[in-house]
Amino acid sequence: MTDPITTEIIRCALAQAAEDMNTTLIRSSYTPVIYEAKDCAVALLDRDHNVLGQSSGLPIFLGNLEVCTRFTEEEHGRDVWRDGDVWVLNDSYVAGTHLNDVTVYGPIFVAGELAGFAASRAHWLDMGSKDPGGSMDSTTIFQEGLRMGPVKVYASGAPCADLHEVIARNVRFPYATLGDMRAQVSCVLTGQRRLTEIMARWGVDTVHAARDEIFAQTERMERAAIAAIPDGVYRSGGFLDNDGIDLATPLPVNVVVTVAGETIGVDLTDCADQATGPVNCGAAQAVAAARVAYKLLLSPDVPLNGGSFRPLTVATRPGSMLAAESPAACQYYYSHLGLIIDLVVKALAPVLPDRAAAASYGDSLIVQVSGVDPRTGKLYVSQEATVGGWGAWNGGDGESALINNVNGNLRDMPIEVLETLFPIRVTRYEIRPGSGGAGRWRGGDGVIREYEFGADTALSLWFERSVTPAWGLAGGDAGAPPHVTLNPGRPGERAMLKVNALPVRAGDTLRCESGGGGGYASLDEDIHGA
Amino acid sequence: MAYRVAMDIGGTFTDVVCYDERSGRVAAAKAPTTPGDLADGVFAALERAAVDPAEISFFTHGTTQGLNALLERKGARVMLLTSAGVRDVYQIARGNRERMFDLRYRKPVPLVPPSDLAEVGGRYDWRGAELTPLDEDAVWAAARRARSEGFDAVAVCLLFSYVNPEHEIRAGEILAKELGDDVLVVLSHEVAREWREYERTSSAVLEAYTGPVVRRYLSRVEARFAERGLRVPVHVMQSSGGLVNAAYAMRRPLRTLLSGPVGGTMGGVAVARLLDRGNIICVDMGGTSFDVSLVVGGRPDVAVEARIEGFPVLMPVVNLHTIGAGGGSLAYAEAGALRVGPESAGAVPGPACYGRGGTRPTVTDANLVLGRVDPAWFAGGLMTLDAEASRTALAGLADAVGLDTTALAEGVCDVANAKMAQAIRTLTVEHGIEPREFALVAYGGAGPMHAAFIARELGIGQVVVPRFPGAFSAWGMLEADIRRDLTRPYFTSGDDLDPYAMSGALAGLALEALEELAGQGVPRDRMSVEHAVDMRYEGQDYTLTIPLRSAAEPSAPGFAQALAARFADAHTARYGHATPEAPVELVALRTTALGALPRVAAAVPAAVEGAGAVRDVIFNGTAHPTPILRRDTLRGETPGPAVIVEETATTVVPPGCVARADAGGFLIIEVGA
Repeated sequence: MTDPITTEIIRCALAQAAEDMNTTLIRSSYTPVIYEAKDCAVALLDRDHNVLGQSSGLPIFLGNLEVCTRFTEEEHGRDVWRDGDVWVLNDSYVAGTHLNDVTVYGPIFVAGELAGFAASRAHWLDMGSKDPGGSMDSTTIFQEGLRMGPVKVYASGAPCADLHEVIARNVRFPYATLGDMRAQVSCVLTGQRRLTEIMARWGVDTVHAARDEIFAQTERMERAAIAAIPDGVYRSGGFLDNDGIDLATPLPVNVVVTVAGETIGVDLTDCADQATGPVNCGAAQAVAAARVAYKLLLSPDVPLNGGSFRPLTVATRPGSMLAAESPAACQYYYSHLGLIIDLVVKALAPVLPDRAAAASYGDSLIVQVSGVDPRTGKLYVSQEATVGGWGAWNGGDGESALINNVNGNLRDMPIEVLETLFPIRVTRYEIRPGSGGAGRWRGGDGVIREYEFGADTALSLWFERSVTPAWGLAGGDAGAPPHVTLNPGRPGERAMLKVNALPVRAGDTLRCESGGGGGYASLDEDIHGA
Repeated sequence: MAYRVAMDIGGTFTDVVCYDERSGRVAAAKAPTTPGDLADGVFAALERAAVDPAEISFFTHGTTQGLNALLERKGARVMLLTSAGVRDVYQIARGNRERMFDLRYRKPVPLVPPSDLAEVGGRYDWRGAELTPLDEDAVWAAARRARSEGFDAVAVCLLFSYVNPEHEIRAGEILAKELGDDVLVVLSHEVAREWREYERTSSAVLEAYTGPVVRRYLSRVEARFAERGLRVPVHVMQSSGGLVNAAYAMRRPLRTLLSGPVGGTMGGVAVARLLDRGNIICVDMGGTSFDVSLVVGGRPDVAVEARIEGFPVLMPVVNLHTIGAGGGSLAYAEAGALRVGPESAGAVPGPACYGRGGTRPTVTDANLVLGRVDPAWFAGGLMTLDAEASRTALAGLADAVGLDTTALAEGVCDVANAKMAQAIRTLTVEHGIEPREFALVAYGGAGPMHAAFIARELGIGQVVVPRFPGAFSAWGMLEADIRRDLTRPYFTSGDDLDPYAMSGALAGLALEALEELAGQGVPRDRMSVEHAVDMRYEGQDYTLTIPLRSAAEPSAPGFAQALAARFADAHTARYGHATPEAPVELVALRTTALGALPRVAAAVPAAVEGAGAVRDVIFNGTAHPTPILRRDTLRGETPGPAVIVEETATTVVPPGCVARADAGGFLIIEVGA
């Protein structure tokens, strides 16, 4: 038992250590997907894999970096950890994500004893998948690129040249990729240094005692928030549009939320079996989605650590698309995760009216263009997410043109940067009027973004949430679904939402319209009320 | 003509520091800030300092007039002209969410509503080649609307104007013809010649929104000074830490938006020079916030962009990291845990000891209970403090967390100190530097009270408490130079670098910047110019600013290799790794012209006689009999524990530390472990 003063100082120091790791990673990364999209996360863990501090650019990486250290230990035993080693893992069925999300982690030794772990995850631009940057139509993980881990990238502080060589020969942009990996290693070293300092300052036993108290405090706050919800079983359901291969078959996702006293259970077993296309994820990510919904609804301001999710259980079904097994394709592992988040909110909306909001536009809505830039003769990949409308709530309109819920601080690509880096021109970027759901409180609007291609290129699209577009709450209308048109108003006009590596010609144009958010309360009610 | 005068207009008080060039005497005074018209407070402060404007040889100040207009949303009515098709770039605001877990997230409300946007045809490609000509009719139509509807300002941001500004310049001519001088026209490439259309639009809009307010204020100050016989130009602090005269500030008002707090950092630069220490951490702790900034290698740490009220702004800004920690920070219990801040009791009700109705304990209450504040000397004796009220407020919280009141009081200070130390660490981590290589300069009303504890937390060996710690920002402005920063995009890969073109571009920038200094009356022999280039590895976004030796350096043999090596060194220093074989790219050229002003050679008054009282002060849970000393009585070394009081601040010297009054008037604390 430590005194509350020491406990609070140690808590702040651990949280700060995670922030410092994140700063190190973002500022030294080489690719926009990390520094612009913040497609990364870091965690400082104790020796039992509990989160001491976490900082995430992407909400969806919440609380699942520790699966990597835990899995490594399960595979190789606790004695595998050696001071100065750094490991790497990107296996979708362990980490839950696509192969592009690579976790780099290392043990932390204090006075010869294992004291904890530092871990960082970042999106690598290309893993050597069959199409540059990743495929919209992969049907097995073996088409999705280099699959690693757990393996060492540094041993006793020295780089493992063999693995570096394997990576360099398997990815399309080796300089940037290895640069990003070094940024992740720096981040791990920062975490190691910080935890070592903290342990040296207060002593291992004091830090552990403080940790137990910090977790207990957090757990108390979480339990109090759950206890305020009426007990009951709450359900909702929706659909993923399709798996990217069979475009005619929607895939159901149903969630059952059970609130009992101070605990909450999220059952995700009632969903489609693992699909042919790349819409599968490892169970770890389905758990993360439930955690994001839990934080959004219950405890956005409660500090995140090993106590945060103790009152939450998540059930998944092995072999389903939310707990996929080899060799399921996982490139678009996140579309249904955004859906789960909105569905948990919808299920609990009747009992949490002051916290819920109508559904958001739903997905990252990816526009990916790759080819050889005629200006430089070099291969390039441009990958953009599209912002859209968020849901209204009792007392406020939803925000327009905001990044989706599985993403956090992702910023759109500046037109001036995009046109300078790639042979693409943006001719229109506007709010999409009327796309937000009507209601007493309006859903936010999506955007319209139009491109003109400056060279023959391959176009890939992943636009979602058209089967169950952003629903309203309390009688509010749903938002408009997304809409994408190639060559609008010209010969060869074609509407589509998902496509992989479609050849397009210089001069072709593309109009992307993102969905709006759901409205809150019917307009009629407003009229009667007035 | 003998007084050099600087003023810092804060939220509550306007501080003034006067330096008498004849006697070397430095004096400080303060007057209440007058929020409606800051000029009133300026003249009131001048009266307190008893300086006749006709005798002022140099006047500078930091003003919050523009910032206040932004904070209160009382700026100008602005029309925004955008490139056709991309009108909503400003509203979309890049679509990111600053808070990750918020279902009801709202962006900052834009300063220009959608109804006040006007689209203008005309487009360049990425190299600045014209694709479609400027639609001048659309500009005329917008100009007529601006006139008939009485807009105060028009901001123009067209795509790729940072490469080719011709369309913006032509639009500016049309607007000026139609609108005359009464309406401020802001062209984005003049505000920030950098890529990223949203950030550049936001910068131009901020200038248009705050500019008319700043202009009115400066005209008023100049006119009133002239009436009183001031014969020298009024100068203003820029966010970059450099000064400009009012005439220039009226042309580029945005650059003065954050002019107040950077005075402290420039004071830090002067301390670095006077004490011959290159690296300084500046900490400013007041009632509600704690600001940290750095001086590295004798120079202020200046960032090339900042965010104000959620709006990005592309301009050189002294890098200030602010957290909610101050004397007014509230301590409270949450789920059995003790928390301190960021919520503050503010000025009203303020800490419990102010006796203005506050009942919740604050950091100031904790200091008072520990004996680290002298109730009779608080705020120079202008306020008396109620120690019993502090004790009562803390006792309630002490029960909730299971501590006795004194232990809790020390704990509240320890937590606040730890958080402030972490804020410093955050800033130093971004730079890849170790705090223990720095000296810590502490100012603001509460800074010197906490500085030694913060330093100890970070392994810093030396704390410097300047004279007039409560007015240090004003003092720092007396030590600043005239400064003009210019930036040009210079996008090229390291392999394709044309050394002569680069030298030519830098020489052109130098000429332009020096001409501007000459326009502000800086004599040639006081001008200097510095060049740097923003670089990164191909594909990276964040750039590192790499200093160049001169404009001619690029055309010297071996430059490309030297530059690559300098960049790799900087990358390793900052991030711990580099990729020497990876291609680099250049993104922008930066030129800074400085006009050196005469330095202050302050005479330090001799110590006066005076004995201190001795009182119990708590350190590490133990009451230590501690002398309470007036700063102006100090001679030689004073071992801790000691509490040193003066007009605007209290310095706490904990046991194990030694304070020394040095010849330059600084109070230097050697921090023992």
